[in-house]
Amino acid sequence: MNLFRSEEHARRWTQFNPQSEEGFINLPDLAGFFGTETRHHMLDANYLSAWFPKRAAERRAYLEQIGKATPFWLGTPSPS
Amino acid sequence: MADPRLLDQAFHRLMRSIVESGRALHYAELAREMGSGVEEGRQLLLAVMQAYPIGWLHPDTDYIASFPPLNNLPTQYRVSVRGEQKWFAQCGFEATSVTWLFPGATVRVEAPCLDCGERMVVEMCDGKFVTVDPPGIVGHLNWGFGPSRGRPPFL
Repeated sequence: MNLFRSEEHARRWTQFNPQSEEGFINLPDLAGFFGTETRHHMLDANYLSAWFPKRAAERRAYLEQIGKATPFWLGTPSPS
Repeated sequence: MADPRLLDQAFHRLMRSIVESGRALHYAELAREMGSGVEEGRQLLLAVMQAYPIGWLHPDTDYIASFPPLNNLPTQYRVSVRGEQKWFAQCGFEATSVTWLFPGATVRVEAPCLDCGERMVVEMCDGKFVTVDPPGIVGHLNWGFGPSRGRPPFL
């Protein structure tokens, strides 16, 4: 879960996983993914009980919106 | 299982502490703030981390290593606010979320590229980009999300 100067830089990274070509995300989409509604409430006194539990569904919805609702991004087992 | 209200209070104090000082409370400090015994504080910390599994303790310790979006353990993602660098983001992805911890302030994330070591800078204020240098910065997920993949999530 890193930032790189460009996709070419990521591919040259010595630890780059060749099976992670679908793992690229542009910065605006990334900021949206990590800036969904629950993230705006991390300082709320009831964040853990009221907001954190909503995070998974929110992430899934956002990934669907940006066309990344795949096992790689959703964290579900790959079909094999 | 701990009382959800206690978990909320403990989480809030931990998050506040890392935002205000750059480091999360130790469980003995948490215990003092919660008005409880030290061992109760330790158990409360363990319960919070169980309820917030995107953070983690350093292996074989009760020390908070990661409390996303910030990290207690330094990473390459250095975070500065109002000219002061005393925070670290958990990873490059969480780095874009730190802005929500400092409303109204410009949050600067500076990190070396893991390929070439050259500097990257991302500045955000209330979720909006202020600076992206170089402009082509991308995020990359190397192993996919999910424990089934058996790789460190921060890669």
